[in-house]
Amino acid sequence: MRLWPAAATAICAMLLFGCSEEPAAPAPAAATPTKADEEAIAAYYAAQPAFFGFKTLADLPPDLTWQNGAELPDIGSPDAVKGGTEYGAIQDFPRTLRTVGPDSNGSFRPWLLDDTAMSLAHRHPDAFAPYPGLAEAWAVSPADKTVYVRLDPAARWSDGVPITADDFLYAFYFFQSPHIIAPWYNNWYTTQYVNITKYDDHTLSVTVPEAKPDMDIRVLGLGPRPRHFYGVLDEDFVTRYQWQFAPTTGAYVVREEDIRKGRSIALTRNEAWWAKDKKFWRNRFNADRIVLSVVRDTAKRFEAFKRGDLDFFGLNLAEYWYEKLPHEDADVQAGYIHKATFYNQRPRPTFGLWLNTSRALLDDRNVRVGINHATNWQLVIEKFFRSDYRRMRTSSDGYGPFSHPTLTARPYDIDAALAAFAEAGFRERGPDGILVDAAGRRLSFTLSTGYEALKDILTILKEEAARAGLDFRIEVLDSTAGWKKVQEKKHDIHFSAFGVALEMYPRFWETYHSVNAYDQAFLEDGSVNPERQPKTQTNNLEVLALPEMDRMIDAYRGSGDADEMRSLAHAMTALHHEHASFVPGYVQGFYRVGHWRWVRFPAGFNHRHSSGAGQQFVHWLDVQAKAETQEAKKSGRTWPPSIRVFDQFRSADA
Amino acid sequence: MVAINPETLRKLRRFRAIRRGYVSFLIFAGLLLLSLFGELLVGSRALIVSYQGEWHFPTYTAFHPGTNFGLPYSYETNYRELAERFREADQGDWVLLPPVPYNPFESHAAGDVYKPEPPSLATKHFLGTDTTSRDILARLLYGTRIALFFALAFMASVYLIGIAIGCAMGYFGGLFDLLFQRFIEIWSNVPFLYMVIIVFSVVPATFSVPVRIGVLLTVMVLFSWTAMTYYMRTETYKEKARDYTAAARLIGASNTRIIFRHILPNAMSTLVTFMPFTVVSAIAAITSLDFLGFGLPPPTPSLGELLKQGTATLRTAPWIVGAAFGTLVVLLTLVTFIGEAVRESFDPKKFTIYQ
Repeated sequence: MRLWPAAATAICAMLLFGCSEEPAAPAPAAATPTKADEEAIAAYYAAQPAFFGFKTLADLPPDLTWQNGAELPDIGSPDAVKGGTEYGAIQDFPRTLRTVGPDSNGSFRPWLLDDTAMSLAHRHPDAFAPYPGLAEAWAVSPADKTVYVRLDPAARWSDGVPITADDFLYAFYFFQSPHIIAPWYNNWYTTQYVNITKYDDHTLSVTVPEAKPDMDIRVLGLGPRPRHFYGVLDEDFVTRYQWQFAPTTGAYVVREEDIRKGRSIALTRNEAWWAKDKKFWRNRFNADRIVLSVVRDTAKRFEAFKRGDLDFFGLNLAEYWYEKLPHEDADVQAGYIHKATFYNQRPRPTFGLWLNTSRALLDDRNVRVGINHATNWQLVIEKFFRSDYRRMRTSSDGYGPFSHPTLTARPYDIDAALAAFAEAGFRERGPDGILVDAAGRRLSFTLSTGYEALKDILTILKEEAARAGLDFRIEVLDSTAGWKKVQEKKHDIHFSAFGVALEMYPRFWETYHSVNAYDQAFLEDGSVNPERQPKTQTNNLEVLALPEMDRMIDAYRGSGDADEMRSLAHAMTALHHEHASFVPGYVQGFYRVGHWRWVRFPAGFNHRHSSGAGQQFVHWLDVQAKAETQEAKKSGRTWPPSIRVFDQFRSADA
Repeated sequence: MVAINPETLRKLRRFRAIRRGYVSFLIFAGLLLLSLFGELLVGSRALIVSYQGEWHFPTYTAFHPGTNFGLPYSYETNYRELAERFREADQGDWVLLPPVPYNPFESHAAGDVYKPEPPSLATKHFLGTDTTSRDILARLLYGTRIALFFALAFMASVYLIGIAIGCAMGYFGGLFDLLFQRFIEIWSNVPFLYMVIIVFSVVPATFSVPVRIGVLLTVMVLFSWTAMTYYMRTETYKEKARDYTAAARLIGASNTRIIFRHILPNAMSTLVTFMPFTVVSAIAAITSLDFLGFGLPPPTPSLGELLKQGTATLRTAPWIVGAAFGTLVVLLTLVTFIGEAVRESFDPKKFTIYQ
């Protein structure tokens, strides 16, 4: 895990960007920072001597225990070969090539950053412990809440410039800057770290406010920013870097000639990537090029895959797994297309209904409890997902001991729903069977979503809810519009999910703290501010503001004791359940894909904590097999079918 | 009662003589009428329930909770199950269901899971089911009904505006005509489909479905009335210059009288010939909007939505696209035949000889 993906505060689990072919901003090539820039940055550091430290190697504590994760197993397969062009599809063209700032948090960012870029160290996808990235070794010192890091001297940016401790200091300057227009980063990089110190070009330390159980990865998840590329930031940052590919630490670069706006974008493997022979990196990032074309329609994407124009296709939806590409399909039976199901272990995306508690009626807990009981996820799972998925219990499942041990979601229960609605004053059914209260208000809410492919779920929920006297007005938006709607808190009820990073314990601040709910949720005496306005551009989609929750979140964020954090996490999950502002949906304990036989995977297919077949980049392309298969499609040659289930990591509740 | 003048009567007679158009018209009118009473043919509500000696007619009334018929729930009675129950109890109670006992919204899976099922007489899904096991015939019927009435309302509105403005432009001429022409030139250059998509995408979903349909109609009309004005304007100019108009004005007829009694009836033939084609384009427009996902909000049944599902499942469930495509073809062919016949029978060249 790295930090910025986690920062993916808002990576909505599915695809999130929009179609825009805005004209490229005038993009002067970013120049090497001038002397004036150097001075301005130095002045910024000097103004915060407590945060930015400069010491010498002699100042390093003498008794540090250095570790480097070398004992962990390799990632990927030694059989992997480099080469070939991988063809993929994206639903929409990225709105920007920046990885931070407005519109950057879309589904293309994993290709630029989350899945490809290197940070100091990463969580091992099997062992959970950190394995080295840019760091050569690190030492954790819980006593002074500091992690000491030695950078790999060989580390280079994709443009060949060495990566030094300065790039890490600069990352803090960068993420603390108001010019990047990313409040989440501003907050995270000022509150979650209290000091960064440079000892020499390749040695640094970072101090966190509390010695949390996972303080090592909180620091090791940090990545550098190319100081030589950005220089001093100003208010033009957002537009200037809109379409500029910044030097990366990862294996793939985007060349300017490969950006075909609105049509396709390609990644090219950096032949000179400094980490290409490193233990944990050598068997990954194998394709020479990855060409991603825009295909907006899922059905069309499938047809393109079936033709062999795309190498992979996600078959998570039952409709695709059982009907469009059944085991009996000719291409599957001929062994051209392989099908694979892989059970993984990781926190699950939070698919469910997010109730905006700042809206009329939804501010009534009884109504929310009723909605929980009137939402028939069980039927959706049985009939629509064909029992492949499981019901989500709480919004923080999958964190081991940090998840609540006993709570379960409220079941579909018409009587319980009617009782709760009656409590809220909705006792009579109108002529259409929908409940009305004494004032004549109908019990009707807009249920919106940005998941066009899942809109059938909403129609099923609507039909079932009507039995409990509840009306859902369905609004299916495209992914960008849907996300914008919830970010502006204009929704009643929204069906969505947050992508969740592989972490030790769940986060609560982003989604449940009142500072993310309202501009000023409470007055100074602690009472509710009558003029409060929902705060936009935050992930508190429930607009949940409870003083008790705030207290627990603050204690949780400030705690370094795993036991205390655990009981706080349970208490917060229970309070959240009690508040009933979220209807837990379903979890998917696996992922499944179809891929052409020239795409090869390691023997165990993938790693325990991987979130998708391509996420760890352990697959490779067999160029010869591709030619062979294309020939075989004409000649009629076949291979034995390959339909495999990898359940070595299957967990009990999946 | 408007007295039909002999000229018009002759045109109508001629229309009747064109067999293809006339038969199409009869079929079309029949379908329209049939769809008006669609609930009696396709729907989940029973036509008649005889319960404890009392007769109920639930089709057009407020919903009957299950408790009305001795069932243990307060939501809408499932009449198919009720029929089954009465049959088993055998106490003289009975239920008469419509021939297709499904409404367009409910999922009714023959198997365990929701998936498209091919047409079947046994389950009474005569055209099969769609991807969430909803009856296609039901969705088709109600979708078509909405599309048809939408198209008719669209036509009426477009004509009202088009005739009024076009007529005024032609009749008053001068500066008014000049300014309006420029305005129309600009207005008609706004791309219609994009405008509809843009405007409709910002209409909040809090509006109920009928209101949203109304908004869609308004927006479409707003960007489609211009075409009509030009025909009307030319017609009016032409008729205004005729001797009989001059005569009418000479004997002191008012503008209103001249427009409504003299010019409009004579310009009618042009308008009438355009009508069916306006209907065709309206049906096509609302279907394509639905197909693109900018039309009626789900789960409103619509031809476009069905077509979209059909094209997405072309390989696995060809009956979906077959049903939607077939309906569209039949509908548009009928209207086009009617249009051709109308055009032919109203063609002035048949009755007038220009010199």
